[in-house]
Amino acid sequence: MIKPAVSVRGLTKVFPTPFRRERIVAIRDLNLEVAPGQVYGLLGPNGSGKSTTLKIILGLVPPSSGSTAIFGRDSREVRSREAVGFLPESPYFYKYLTGIETLQFFGKLCGLRGVSLRSRIDKLLTLVGLESARDRRLSSYSKGMLQRIGLAQALIQEPKLVVLDEPTAGVDPVGTREIHDLILDLKRRGITVLLTSHLLAQVQKICDCVGILANGALIREGRLADLLAIENQTELTLENTTPEVLAQIQAALENSPARLVEQRQPQTTLERLFLDATNPSTDQ
Amino acid sequence: MSDRKYRPFSLLRVVALAGNTFTGLVRLKAFYFLLLFALLLIGSSAFLAQISFQEEFQVLKDISLGAMSIFTSLLAIAATAQLLPRDLEERTIYTILARPVPRYEYLAGKLGGVLLLLAVSLLAMAAAFFALLFVREKILLAGMLGHSAGLRAAELQAAVRSLHASAFNADLLPGIAIIYVKAALLASLTLFVSTFATSNLFTVFVMVFVYFIGHLQSTARDYWLAQDGSGWIAKSFLALVALVFPDLQRFDLLDNVVAGRVIPGSLFAQTVLLGCIYTSIYFFFAWVAFQGKEL
Repeated sequence: MIKPAVSVRGLTKVFPTPFRRERIVAIRDLNLEVAPGQVYGLLGPNGSGKSTTLKIILGLVPPSSGSTAIFGRDSREVRSREAVGFLPESPYFYKYLTGIETLQFFGKLCGLRGVSLRSRIDKLLTLVGLESARDRRLSSYSKGMLQRIGLAQALIQEPKLVVLDEPTAGVDPVGTREIHDLILDLKRRGITVLLTSHLLAQVQKICDCVGILANGALIREGRLADLLAIENQTELTLENTTPEVLAQIQAALENSPARLVEQRQPQTTLERLFLDATNPSTDQ
Repeated sequence: MSDRKYRPFSLLRVVALAGNTFTGLVRLKAFYFLLLFALLLIGSSAFLAQISFQEEFQVLKDISLGAMSIFTSLLAIAATAQLLPRDLEERTIYTILARPVPRYEYLAGKLGGVLLLLAVSLLAMAAAFFALLFVREKILLAGMLGHSAGLRAAELQAAVRSLHASAFNADLLPGIAIIYVKAALLASLTLFVSTFATSNLFTVFVMVFVYFIGHLQSTARDYWLAQDGSGWIAKSFLALVALVFPDLQRFDLLDNVVAGRVIPGSLFAQTVLLGCIYTSIYFFFAWVAFQGKEL
């Protein structure tokens, strides 16, 4: 039997409030599973328990009850994080280090050294487009560059699971698109991705499965295609049509039980418009 | 992912963390205080040119070793106090502990980086101190030879020997080693306090308090126990203080060194051992406090 990349069983997390009797319940009896190779989006408003869930999965915070596991190994074991790459929300790395020193540091923490570490760093700097900034200190990096070096460090040991907490927070549309492409590339290579995001339109483009958290409880979960499908409707998009063809379709509809809900001209997205305007070479 | 075998303890990880901590402290200008030490040395040597060479070297050693002790202790406290709070505040700790890095390795790396910084700082101060002793000795020797017209050869040889003995001698080295051991103890204790402190200012405040209690407790203990009326309450209180606070007076062997007395080998070994025990115990406490900490 294939072990899930991430499994959460009956997870509850309660934070005591200092000097008060009341306690804050951050997560209530949460159950979820992320299959290997899947891109799973954990969604929810601020304070819904997304980051706390990630922290418990990564062993940074102990659960009050229940358990979490990574590839079948309990998250409380340090060894469970051997194959995990993590990018925290708004990552602050050591600003006194250069890009290359940052990757060397995290590579060594993962047991890499010598030629294999150097070649891995070169590859990742190319992947995230930071070759020219490799010897600059992170204090001079922009927010987008910090996010990209963060992604590079998350991938340093070729992890099987990548956990991304708000990976596109504060990044411009071009940077966001690059991060999306990177996530899709990870998916193509069979790497599991667990991410949280506020940007629902972007999650919709890259996730296979989503779970929606509210007040610490999972209120919806499933494959994105299943959750978003409107079962009794069908969408047609026509190209190079003529008014006569449209009239024929409408006539056919009049003689059937089907009802035309909406007829409109499809529009491009604002993101597409922005990307085309700022970088004409962007692929359609 | 490659087939790397996971080890519960990896020296490579600890060295990486220690190296990063050291680099951070160096690039955050932790060495600036060395300039202060250099100014103190230059200033004191200019002032001391007025007195006899025996007194000059004694006072120079007194000032220099005292300054080395205070600067190293202060650096141990100030450098360590900020490490954990800064990593927590800037969330850099998440990316480290989300790796297969046990918390004891993280703490060991942090302490290792500070110990490396202290060693480099102390070596730099010692080098400056020895260089000053050497230069002063050469200047005084030149002066002595210039005014030796009326002296016999034997008298001159005795004077030169006396001058040489007053300047650098190997007995200074154990004194400097003890300064390092004391600073290591303070760094470990600071690391422990910072695991539960709410800010680095609080940690520094607690450590300054501990520093003074640690230095005064043996004097206070001797005084109170010498009183006829010292009952079990006083004795219990003193035992508790001795248990909680390190007896830093045990590490003050500099008076012997300055006075030209040799530190016995057994006393040196005992002091180093005591320092290592204190350092290990405080590191263990830091690990216990940090292990269950919610990040």
